[in-house]
Amino acid sequence: MKRLIHDLTIRQSILAAFLGIVLSILSLTGLIFYTSFSQQTDLMIEDHSREINKQIVYNYENYINSVIETANYIQYITSGFDVRDSYDYLQDKYLINTEIKKDVVSVYLFDTEGRRVLGNEVSENSAHTITAQRWFTAALQERLIFHFSAEDRQSLLPKNEEHVISVSRYAEYIEGGQQKRGVLLIELNSNTINELAEKTNLGPTGHIIIIDDDDSLINTLGSYELDQLDMSMAIAVESYYGGFMTEIDHKTMYMNITPLSNTRWRIVNVIDVDHTAQVKRQMLLTLLMIFVVSIFVAAVVSVAMSRRISNPLNTLKESMRSIEQGSFHSKVVVTGQREVVHLSETFNSMIDTIQSLMERILNEQREKRKTELRALQNQINPHFLYNTLDSIIWLAENDRSEDVITTVSALARFFRISISGGENFITLEDEIQHVRNYLTIQKVRYQKKFEYRFEVDREVVGLKVMKLILQPLVENAINYGIGDEQETITLRCFRREDSLILEVENTGYGITDERIREIYRIINGTDKTTSVGLRNVYLRLKLYYGAAADLIISSSLDVSTTMQVVIPVREPVQAIENQEEVT
Amino acid sequence: MLEQHPKDPAERHLIIILTFILLLFSLSSCSDTQTRVGLVLYNESDPFVYNYARSIEEHAQGVFSLSRADSGNSQILQNEQIAQMLDQKLDLLIINPVDRLSVYSIIKRQREMDIPVIFFNREPLLKDLDLWEDAYYVGAKAEQSGRLQAELIMELFGNDPRQLNRFDKNGDNVIQAIILKGEQGHQDAEIRTSEVLRIFHDQGYAMEAVIEVANWESTQAYEKMEQIAKTFGTDFEVIISNNDAMAIGAIKRMKEAGFFTDTNGNGRIDPLDELWVPIVGIDGISEAVELIEYGYLYGTVLNDSNSQAQAVVELSEYLLGLRKEQEMTYRLLDDTYVWIDYKVFTLD
Repeated sequence: MKRLIHDLTIRQSILAAFLGIVLSILSLTGLIFYTSFSQQTDLMIEDHSREINKQIVYNYENYINSVIETANYIQYITSGFDVRDSYDYLQDKYLINTEIKKDVVSVYLFDTEGRRVLGNEVSENSAHTITAQRWFTAALQERLIFHFSAEDRQSLLPKNEEHVISVSRYAEYIEGGQQKRGVLLIELNSNTINELAEKTNLGPTGHIIIIDDDDSLINTLGSYELDQLDMSMAIAVESYYGGFMTEIDHKTMYMNITPLSNTRWRIVNVIDVDHTAQVKRQMLLTLLMIFVVSIFVAAVVSVAMSRRISNPLNTLKESMRSIEQGSFHSKVVVTGQREVVHLSETFNSMIDTIQSLMERILNEQREKRKTELRALQNQINPHFLYNTLDSIIWLAENDRSEDVITTVSALARFFRISISGGENFITLEDEIQHVRNYLTIQKVRYQKKFEYRFEVDREVVGLKVMKLILQPLVENAINYGIGDEQETITLRCFRREDSLILEVENTGYGITDERIREIYRIINGTDKTTSVGLRNVYLRLKLYYGAAADLIISSSLDVSTTMQVVIPVREPVQAIENQEEVT
Repeated sequence: MLEQHPKDPAERHLIIILTFILLLFSLSSCSDTQTRVGLVLYNESDPFVYNYARSIEEHAQGVFSLSRADSGNSQILQNEQIAQMLDQKLDLLIINPVDRLSVYSIIKRQREMDIPVIFFNREPLLKDLDLWEDAYYVGAKAEQSGRLQAELIMELFGNDPRQLNRFDKNGDNVIQAIILKGEQGHQDAEIRTSEVLRIFHDQGYAMEAVIEVANWESTQAYEKMEQIAKTFGTDFEVIISNNDAMAIGAIKRMKEAGFFTDTNGNGRIDPLDELWVPIVGIDGISEAVELIEYGYLYGTVLNDSNSQAQAVVELSEYLLGLRKEQEMTYRLLDDTYVWIDYKVFTLD
């Protein structure tokens, strides 16, 4: 992990850091926001649902209380008057309730035998079943409470098939001065109960269920499907009372189970809060979208930013690499952050310094070489001059004035070419002339023991060559080739492909291969023998013409020895010449 | 990562903090190993209930910790409070129900959670209490209060139905009585009223009674007395009230009619010397006790909340295994009920 972090490029680390920060901040705020939002929503749903529930329960209890008040009033009236004496008055009080209140279907007072004492008419069919009915038996059994019952029954009224809710209670009345026991019954239709629920907004599939203490269904209201009703019932029966969020038919519902005061009923309000719960899901989705978009934007921005930072650096890096490979002439041009620009400027000035340093070294090297070359050229002259002057003295002593003249004039020409106005390069023609003068001098000195011949191609005489190359070769040929026999030195100049060949051949014994190897060793400088002539030529060739130039020695025993100077005919000759002129 | 850098200081701090928070949570959730009991009151602004609760708290001191909730006369709120206590896994609930008829749902839930419950002050139906063996009721029998009231008046009138004493002002050997009834249809009002009438009847007393419903309230009782005075004058021999509050309302009206005047200036009302009518109440609230001391109120029947509270606490201790059944001051009947007697309170 640590190594991985270290291996990252600037771009990658910026991207990682940026994304890491954005990611953690987003997830943290998202999480906090969503949890608090979700809690708030749940709380809101709960509050809202409880409020609705309270309203509904309040409405129902109010209604129940009004029914009970009616019943209490009737009971109170009943207990204060003798049924026999005040029948009409009491009957009037009973019936007025059914007329005033649209929800009251009928009001009855029965004696313990189930006979009607006061109130509405009883249909003939029902009369004999009264004592068996639950509202009746329950009222006699539990005397001090009202019995709300909704067994599936029709009204006791004749010609009325309306389904009714019974409110019954044990009651005492006076008949003929005697205290008697009976049951008061009020029959209610479900109009008001239904109306009470209509006023409240329970949501699309919200509904109200009223169940009995033995969990039997009393009434259902609202819009629902049968499946939902069954599910709601099952949950309500299990939960007894209280408010909670629940899932009914894949919908989020808030269920409130509340006992209705003064009854044995529980009202179950199932409020459809799916829509509100969906808001939560939508919020989650929105948050997720924001998350994704933010991550994307952050990634793009961080990539762009890191590119802005790392691009100049990369350019700089590329420039450095090209310089590493030897190209010192390119300048680094970087735009971007000030730091990087500054860095590149510093780098450029560094390159400039290096370049000027290198040029200085190059010039110094060149100067040094030139000095060396001069020294080498200068080595030749004193030795030869001494010999020639020696032979002139000798000629003069022998009164050979003709030869002295020839020699001295040749020597003069020889030196004029040797000096040649300080030029290092002269035409081949001049060089040949130079050798010719040399041979003239040597021939006088060596008493014409050799012959010489020139075979020069006309096309090459105009070429410029480094001066004083041929002379050492000829000198060598004279020194080592001249014996008792008359020999011939042949000097050939011609062009072969890209090379100018200067060849000096001398007849004679020739030299052995061993001798040739020895000579090579000398000119390569591996042998410390002080033979300077050939080595001098070889060194100068290599100095000026480079690897392409060469000095080749070959020999066939008892026939001849040949030395070839190979000079490349190319621009370098000129180039170096030009540079020399510049410096 | 974690294993590789166990000594990363930031990480270690985080772990320490998290552990600390966890520890705090676990401490706060299980710091109280004491027995915890919930007390839910139907309405604390009812002085009787308030005193009752105070007594329970006094008796429970040092025995178990008690958390109290006031339902403010709302069954919905009470249900929420009970549900909350069930969530807290209290060991026992003591409930004064708002609506005695809906107690069955409470008992069913308690049964499911297996947390015993004691009801008081409002008596659930027997069939509801029978739903579960660990549902109990501590209270007084309403019938008894009516009977004691009747007996108190009989004693005043000489205990002989054939020969009433001088408190039968008109000497007709019939007691002319005003009965101030509580809320029509209310269990206690019905029982107390019918029980008073039944006892007089059973003992052979002749009684002419005017029953007025004053809904337990002093002001309503005052108004009803106003109407009675218009219809019947003040020629009645006793006022029997279902509770003290209504009796106090009646006293106020009677004072305005010239009754209860301290003619001899001895600082109190004397039944024998002055214009006086016996008034009896039920409950024994402090105002009534004061009026008895000054002679305005003849007597009251004390609904002995202190004894009931003691019974509630003792029953709780028994249910929590802190007390043996034999050590209880009040007997547990049918493994369901503890009945506390009403007490007569007069000047004597």
